[in-house]
Parts: sequence; structure tokens; C-alpha cells
Amino acid sequence: MSTLPLDADKAVAAPAVTARPPSLTGPIRIGLALFSTIALIVIVGFPVLAIVLYAIFPNINEGSFTAPFSEFFPNFARPDLIGATINSIVMASSVVAVSAVIAVPMAFLRSRVGVVAGRIWDAAFLIPFLVPPYIGALAGMMLLQRNGYVERILGFNLDGFLYSFADLVAVMALNLFPLMYFATSRVFAMIGRRYGDVAKVFGASFGRAFFRIYVPLCLPALLSSGLLVFVLTIEEFGTPAILGTRFGFEVIVTAIHDKVSDWPIDLAGASTLSFLLIVIAFFAFIAHERMSKRVAVEVETASLGQSSDKLPPVLAVLTQAAFGVVFFLAIFLPVASIIIAAFTARLSGGLALENFTFANIAHLVDTDGAAIRAIGTSLSLAIGAAVVTGIIGLVTAFVLVRMKIRGAGALDFLALLPNSVPGMAVAVGLILAWNQAFWPVTPYNTVLILLVAYSCLMLPYPIRMISTALKQIPKSVDEAAYISGANELSVIWRVVLPIVAPSALAAGFIVFAISTRELVTSIMLAPPGVETVSTYVFNQFDQGSVNSGMAMSLLAIAASAIVIAVGQGAQGRK
Amino acid sequence: MLMAAAAVLIGATAAQAADTLVVYSAGPKPLSGALAEGFTKQTGVKVDLFQSTSGKVMARYEAEKANPQVDVIISAAWGHAINLDADGDLLAYTSPNAAKVPGWLKTDTYVAQGAAALAIAYNTTAGIKPPAEWSDLTKPEYKDLVTMPDPSKSGSALTLVQGLTAQYGDKAWNMFADLNANGMILPGANNAALNPVLQGAKAVVFGAVNYIVLGQKAKGEKIEVVFPASGTVLAPRPIMITKSSQHADLAKKFVDYVLSEEGQKLVAGRLILPARTDIKALRPGFDELKIIEVDYVQAAKDAEATRARFKANTGS
Repeated sequence: MSTLPLDADKAVAAPAVTARPPSLTGPIRIGLALFSTIALIVIVGFPVLAIVLYAIFPNINEGSFTAPFSEFFPNFARPDLIGATINSIVMASSVVAVSAVIAVPMAFLRSRVGVVAGRIWDAAFLIPFLVPPYIGALAGMMLLQRNGYVERILGFNLDGFLYSFADLVAVMALNLFPLMYFATSRVFAMIGRRYGDVAKVFGASFGRAFFRIYVPLCLPALLSSGLLVFVLTIEEFGTPAILGTRFGFEVIVTAIHDKVSDWPIDLAGASTLSFLLIVIAFFAFIAHERMSKRVAVEVETASLGQSSDKLPPVLAVLTQAAFGVVFFLAIFLPVASIIIAAFTARLSGGLALENFTFANIAHLVDTDGAAIRAIGTSLSLAIGAAVVTGIIGLVTAFVLVRMKIRGAGALDFLALLPNSVPGMAVAVGLILAWNQAFWPVTPYNTVLILLVAYSCLMLPYPIRMISTALKQIPKSVDEAAYISGANELSVIWRVVLPIVAPSALAAGFIVFAISTRELVTSIMLAPPGVETVSTYVFNQFDQGSVNSGMAMSLLAIAASAIVIAVGQGAQGRK
Repeated sequence: MLMAAAAVLIGATAAQAADTLVVYSAGPKPLSGALAEGFTKQTGVKVDLFQSTSGKVMARYEAEKANPQVDVIISAAWGHAINLDADGDLLAYTSPNAAKVPGWLKTDTYVAQGAAALAIAYNTTAGIKPPAEWSDLTKPEYKDLVTMPDPSKSGSALTLVQGLTAQYGDKAWNMFADLNANGMILPGANNAALNPVLQGAKAVVFGAVNYIVLGQKAKGEKIEVVFPASGTVLAPRPIMITKSSQHADLAKKFVDYVLSEEGQKLVAGRLILPARTDIKALRPGFDELKIIEVDYVQAAKDAEATRARFKANTGS
């Protein structure tokens, strides 16, 4: 591990393994390690194992281990698979790069926009998580296509750009950059301004200070969130399916999805191709580990307070404007498009005033209450998922970063997997794992299976975000507590939790936001009679009621946004 | 909290064990919902309805095979029934109410609930000459204005390709090549092809599922349906009972209900062609359409080859 001599008399020299009183805390340490291991194995390991087994034993869905590998190699012999694999990797790398270009400067400026404005921008940049990617892509199409909203208002269309690789990457990056923004801005907030100030005192130019001080300091967070964005992009189905098919851009996930939805259904083949995504994710993970070892940074003193000095007025205005531009592209445009669709009566009616209606919204509220129930189901499941993954994430991050147990790497990789496997495959894995006669009780066919599914899919966020934050906190802080006689539980509760709280909360909001609109596993796993927001929207689209589906999306986005605003407000008051 | 979760679990498991019928159905949702409700009203039997697309219904069925849950499946793709039947997964049952269903829409193990016809749909505000024939859409006046559901994503579009090519041979294959040269796009399944036309980005759908379009038209969308005189195909929607069903008697009653006068009227109400010829269709019926008969079993066997040739002809 290399360290950066950031400050002459506070050079960091933390040894990799720190001595601490071993006698006191043995059982608690074992308990914590067991808790996180078991939680990860049950929630993530079971479905992933089921997918791998399915890839090997194509008849395992009937409980039979016959014909091993009979589906495995033929599936890799597809001539178009190499192209799809390259496309997936190129697309994911581009999305990571573009997201970083948007996110890092914003994260850096975040500590300079003022406390209140900062909190408002933070809340705003959670909105992309609330907008399902396929809705975002559809909204973009309605906006930019021939005779779309832009053409009807401004007289031109961007049909050519709409179905291009550049647009595909832009749409996905604008949807995912907040992940990198939140991860890195938390780090900037934690390291405070002091290192930059020191550089300034010693005469470094701004650019030099930015690239030599701030960028290296936020690299671990950047790499970690970049890894998330990478696996999320190779796993994402909606956007490539909607935009990519229009210019012949095939990725692995579209191939998987075809196997799951087109006749003949080939779940074993889908599992096999999912296995390919797991392998890609594995290499991305290894690359990430290598790189983060090289850039690991420990900061001796975390300054948690907000920086006090103000930007000169011109720069302050420019900074707000920069945030405004990103807001306009990433949030305003898609949401405006959704709003227009939600308040128009007919798709073929355009933007004429006579096409304006409240009927779509009114219909959701007044009919049999199914829409409101679906929103209630989604919101409660999302809160449940945020709490469950938050607790598991906190403990797991502590185990991974601080306890350095054997097999931590495997645990860490396991915690990343759900994001690299397409939701469809996770759903199939969950059915295989939990719909077995040998379980005395099972969450399958109850609404709890959705909580299990969301927790599985969302666990990577809190684990990655909290462990990234934890890596930035000097060990000396917990050591001080140990020396004062604290055990692991009280260190987690009294020391670690308060310090990583901003990251944990940010992760919790992200989990909440994404859970409220999770589509793919919801469609497959919702027990008969249970509807979530996304299955409701999906059914509306399926029967051709696009505007009604958009109205439901809008209502759900608004309801979730209110929950987040209340949460952010509570955080602000603390 | 764990205790509460366990209580919910046990409660849910108990509810499952009671006499409820589990139905997995493809859309449209108002129809499957109404059929389930009507059946419950008539028999007092509770129906647990899982409603999704045909593909998702089949995927769930396949994934659950270790511990099957479903009693009755309604799909929008006849091929699904052929496939399950070939695997020996279906329970043989001929409903007395199926007597008025044409012979080619029923077998020993599955029967049509209704059928969709494939049509041309065009946006009446697009300022184009209304097309009358499939081949019209190869003309320059429709350049870059045509969409078609992708036969590899839409079972009904595949049936249309198979029907037209079986009937007209190379002429039909050449037409698909010409459509491709004329800028026709294949944006996805049925709705993905229809929406750009409704929104005015494109003007005509080649092979729209007619009840969806007719429903849109009834809602006031500026869209019109054309059934070409050269003929079209039907995409029947099979209903079937699984062999693994624990409630076979209830399942049979459900099939009876769907094929009863009341059930078929609900089907007709969604502008789907009812399977029974004695129930009045609320749209052009069997006698008003020129239907190209398709050997569905053979077509299912040829599906892969048809898709491949279609891909080659359209460069998709």
C-alpha cells in the first residue's frame, strides 16, 4: 500500500494490520463476520449459485442433474456473441468515462455551492434513480424523435442523434453519473478543504492542486463507484433494448432477454450467458482491486465540518449554472417529457391544447385503488430494502475494511455480483432457490420474495459506499475507542456509524429510489395479485396505454421524491 | 420483526393451501382480471392471477418446474401451447363449451380463448395515402415511414411472416426485402412498433395486432386499421391446463367459464375475436376477413428457419 505524503508533519504511515486488544472482542468479531457472511450467502449466494448450477445442469428446474454442460458450450458458439460482448464492454467503459467526466467536477464543486443549495442539488440528483431507465429512454424518444415534443415546439428533431451510440451512452451516463457524484462528493466533504488550502499556501496553481491533491484523494471512491456503474451498464436492459435495437447494437443482455422472453423459452441458455456477465464482472472487479491497491489513500484527519469560505460571486454563479445545465439534461428534460405524456389524452394528439387532460392522473386515483395500492406496496418494500441492506451493508463494510478476515475478497466480490447479473437471471435464480418443496417456509409466492429480491439487487450500493467511506477514516479513530475499552459493537454504533452516516444515508436513499421502480424482478416474482409501481406501469404499456403508464410513473416519482425530501430534511435538521 | 415476517409467511402459505385456482395469463389485463372475477362470482372459487406478457408467463412456468404452482395458463402465442403439448406438460380436456370453436382452433389439450388478426395500421394525421395491401408499403410514398413488430420478439408477427410466405412464396420474401430497402424498421415487439406510429414519428405499422389498435382507436387515437384483401393470419390465444395442476377440476371449470357465452363476451369486449363462432365479434369477424390458414404445428417447427430467413432478407 502506498501512501501520499500529504502534509509534512502528518505523513500517513498506517500499518496494514493494526494491533488491538484481542481478548475482549473475539466472540463479537466472530458474530459480526458470521452475520455478514450468512446474510450475503442467503440473499446473494443462493440465487447466484442457482444461476451457475442452471448454466451447468439445464434440467435443474425439474430437479434433475442430467445432461451436465449440454447447454454450456453450444451457447458460447454463437457467432454474434463476440460482437455483443465487445459492444457490452465498450458501452460500459464509455458510460463510466462519461459519468466520471460529469460527476467529478460536480462533486468537487459540491462543497462550494453552499450548504442549502448543496442539499437541494443532492436531493435533485437522486431523481435519476427514481426514473426507470426504460421510461427515461422512452421519454427521450418522445422528446427528440421525428414529430416529437421538441420538433412540435422548436421545429427541429434530433432523430439522427437519438439512435446512435453517442446518445445511448449519454442517456445511460446521465442516468448513472449520480452514483459517482454521491460517492466522490462524500469523500470531498470528508477530506475537507485543508489539503487544498495547504497546496495553495505552498503556491500550487488550482489545476495542479485539483489533479495532484483532490483527484488522487477521491480515486478510491471514483474507482469503486465506477465499478458499480460498469457492472450496472453491462447489466442494463431497457435502454439498449429501446435505443440500441434501432441501430443494430446488440449487447449480451439483449441476447439473454431474448432467451427468457421469446419462444422457445431457454432459461438454461440465459443462465449460461449470465455466467459470461459474471466473468466480465469478475475481471472488472480484479482490475478494480489492482488499481485501488495502487491508489489507496488514507487521510490522517478527517475534517467533517463544512468549509466556510465562499467563492467569488462570478465563480459562484458559474458553479450554480453548471449544476443547472446537468440538472436540465439529466432531470428536467426526461421528467418534462414524462409530465407532458402524463397529461395528454392521445399519443396521436400532439401538443394541442385540446389534447390536455387530467384523466390519466384522475383515473389512477379514483378507480379501484389498484394504483394507490401499488404505490403503497412499492414504497414500503423500498423502505424495507433500504433498512435491510443498510444494516447488512454497515456490518459487511466493517468486516471487509476493518476486520480483514480471510476470504474478505470473496465476500466483497459476492457483494458486487447482483449488479452484474441481469435482473431477469436473478429472478430465475430466486425462483430456483426458493420455490423448492424442501423449504419448511419460503418467501416465494409471498410479497416478501420482492424484499429478498430488492435486497439482493441493492446490497452492492450500501456495501460499496460505506466501505469506501470507511477506508477514508483513519484507523486511529477506532483504535482510540478500542484503547478506551470499547468492543466492536460499540465501535460500530458509536464511532463508525456517526462518521459514515452521510454515506450510509446516501446509499439508503439510492436503494430506496431504485427499489421504488425496480421492474424486471418485480414482473417475474410478484406473487399473484400483488402489484408494484413498475408492474402496474408495465401492464399499462403492455395494453397500449402509454400515457396512463407515464401518469403512474409520474405519480410514483412524486411520491418517492416526497419521501426522499422528508428524509433529506430530517437529515438537515439533525 | 423476524417474528412478524414469519407470521406473514405462515399465513401466506396457509392461504395458498386452500382451494384457490392459480392462473397465469398474458394481457390485456382488464380481460384476464374480468375473467377471474366473473369465475369467482359464478363459482365462489378464488383465483390467484399472475398477469404479464406471454414470454414472462412461460419463463415463470419453466423456472417453477421443480415445484409447479400454476393450474391454468393463457398465452397470446399458440406456439407456447404447441411446445408445452409436445413436452407432455398439458392435461387433456375438451370443454363441452368448445363445440362451437372451429376445429383448427382446438386440440385435445389446448383450445383458443380468442384470436387476434394481423393488420396494417396507419396514423390518419400523417398525411399519407391510406394503404390497402401489404405490398403497398414498399412504395416510395411510404419510404422511412413503416414499422413492423420484430418476428423474433413478437409471435404474431412471426405467424404473419409464415402465413404470407407460405401463401405467396418468394413473392412474399422479396416483399420483405423491398420493405427493408424502403426503410422499414423493426423496433421491438408489438407496442414498440405501434407507439412511434401513434406519436407521429412513423406512419404505418406492417402487422399490427388488431385488437390493440382497435382499442386505441376507440379511445380516440387517430389510427385506422386495414385488413388487406390478399389475406391475413390469425394469432390464436391458447388456454390450457397443466398436467401438474393440483386443482384439475377447478381448472376445467375455469376453461368452461372462459368458453361460456359470458366468458366469450368478455373476450369480445376487448375487441379480440372470440373463439366461438356463435358469439358476435365487436369487430370484423371470421366471415369478414380473408384468413390465410396456417399449419401452426409445422410453423412452430419451422420457426427458427423462418426467423433466420427473415433476418437475412431484411438485413436486421
